[in-house]
Amino acid sequence: MASRAPQRPNNASPQGKICQFKLVLLGESAVGKSSLVLRFVKGQFHEYQESTIGAAFLTQTVCLQDTTVKFEIWDTAGQERYHSLAPMYYRGAQAAIVVYDITNQDTFARAKTWVKELQRQASPNIVIALAGNKSDLSNKRMVDHDEAAAYSDENGLLFMETSAKTAMHVNDIFLAIAEKLPKNDAGGTAANRPTSGVDITQGGGSNPQGGCCGRSQ
Amino acid sequence: MIMASTSNMNSLKAKYTQAVKQNTVGTLSKVDPYGFERGNDFDYKAFENFESEYLAVLARRTIKWDKMMKNGTKRKVKPDRVVKRFCRKGIPERYRARVWMDVSGARKKMKKSQKNFYQTLLEQPNQDADFEEELTESIKTDLDRTFPDNIHFKNGIDSNKSKQKDLLNILTAFGRHSPTIGYCQGMNYIAALLLIVVKDPEQCFWLLCALIDDILPAYYTKSMIGLRAEMNVIDDLVREKFPEVQQKMDVYKVPWTLVASKWFVCLFVDVVPTEAWTVLRVWDCLFFEGSKVLIRAALCIIYNVKPAVLSCKGMPDVVQTFKDVSKNSAILDCHLFMQQCFIETNPLTRADLKKLREKNRKLIEEEDEKYSQKQRKSRPSR
Repeated sequence: MASRAPQRPNNASPQGKICQFKLVLLGESAVGKSSLVLRFVKGQFHEYQESTIGAAFLTQTVCLQDTTVKFEIWDTAGQERYHSLAPMYYRGAQAAIVVYDITNQDTFARAKTWVKELQRQASPNIVIALAGNKSDLSNKRMVDHDEAAAYSDENGLLFMETSAKTAMHVNDIFLAIAEKLPKNDAGGTAANRPTSGVDITQGGGSNPQGGCCGRSQ
Repeated sequence: MIMASTSNMNSLKAKYTQAVKQNTVGTLSKVDPYGFERGNDFDYKAFENFESEYLAVLARRTIKWDKMMKNGTKRKVKPDRVVKRFCRKGIPERYRARVWMDVSGARKKMKKSQKNFYQTLLEQPNQDADFEEELTESIKTDLDRTFPDNIHFKNGIDSNKSKQKDLLNILTAFGRHSPTIGYCQGMNYIAALLLIVVKDPEQCFWLLCALIDDILPAYYTKSMIGLRAEMNVIDDLVREKFPEVQQKMDVYKVPWTLVASKWFVCLFVDVVPTEAWTVLRVWDCLFFEGSKVLIRAALCIIYNVKPAVLSCKGMPDVVQTFKDVSKNSAILDCHLFMQQCFIETNPLTRADLKKLREKNRKLIEEEDEKYSQKQRKSRPSR
């Protein structure tokens, strides 16, 4: 595979804090939520990714200048009726990636309703990123890049067009979120999550993700 | 206990050996008898150990079923106590489709309906064009994503070897037959496994109807109320039966919905070992006895992973432990697993389960009401 899991963006050893954040992926069915996670966590891509039923959970760690950020990733089912389960998944999330498919206008509309719902119902300081996925299929593009970028600006969202297939911008979007999340212990939404901003050397346990940064498996 | 005759056992063994002749690793095929590719991490040794014993069980059961079914000449299986016991011990492959049709009520439904009902559904789209479009779109989205590693489904819809077209038909017919439910992700796996086992698409359609219309709680409706209530039921029952497990789940904040919603939506397909016997053994009871056996199977999984859960040191650990159920050798032994299902989960009466389901359904309806009130309140201000 061309691109493995995220690279450490610099050579600094992760001496600083270790922070843990809950991140949820939302978006219409088959836009590539699970594929983004699979690319980010395992560096893989499956042309026919099985549909996610209910939700899936994975973890991945990225290193910033002086902080190690461990993401607890909640990947959700996209079909409309699974929406009734979603509040449980985004409750207490400090970050969200709302995904749409650039070749399908309906999925962009759906993404906007997810953003609205998060703004209304999720933690007030949640960091939201919008991902226009399947950017490798730009010859079939139906959602204008600039329109999505303008919408993101208006709503204070991070925005990138991604491709789980080619790995384009996949690590970048997670890194951008990691950068934007508050790292101080008292920081924002961290308050209601005891695991937030806490040294996870206690909690890592037998999870074989030893060390840091891309040592996922 | 009557031992199987050696000749019968040998013929069964020969049949399985023949089935696995091609493409083998050691003596076992890379593809199981149902067409699923065995992954790189498949434990051939553990499976061979189990299979060598289970083949004897199968042979024994087959003799008994042959006798009951008068070697297949018996026209109809009446769902009585004997058949119930027989189903719990596993239906042999040669009778499975027929017995499922009889004991689930699917055959009755088929006979009561107008002639060629299934075919008619396929030829007559719903008059609501939006409904049709959404139904077809959502099913087609999942076709290539249903068992992509199974030889019966991976060739694409245009291949005449593929069962994808039948899968599309069954799900479309069901959506038209039950427009308030339509298509819910998860049904694709159930219909696909039915196609592998039962083969005849029309019978698969009726079995799917029996499941969703009659046997299962409201798992697949728009609000998925039955499923959400079921998650609370599991919470209540684990708290009562395996309190240490529930304590871990509480401490690490793992909701049952995260680990167990797929169990119920997919009726354990792709949850317990892909070697489909465990799933089929659960279904043998499901079609006869109803959805209580799903609760039993869920509790039995939890019973089996209890030691692993108790040694978990964080949420990711717990989630992984439940993911590994598909490779758990204790659960691979479907015969033992089914015995445990009816022992380790007791006491569990139908009346108690009914009460628990009703209580939790009500709780969730109340929560939904509060949620929509909150939505209504916050909307005008925007």
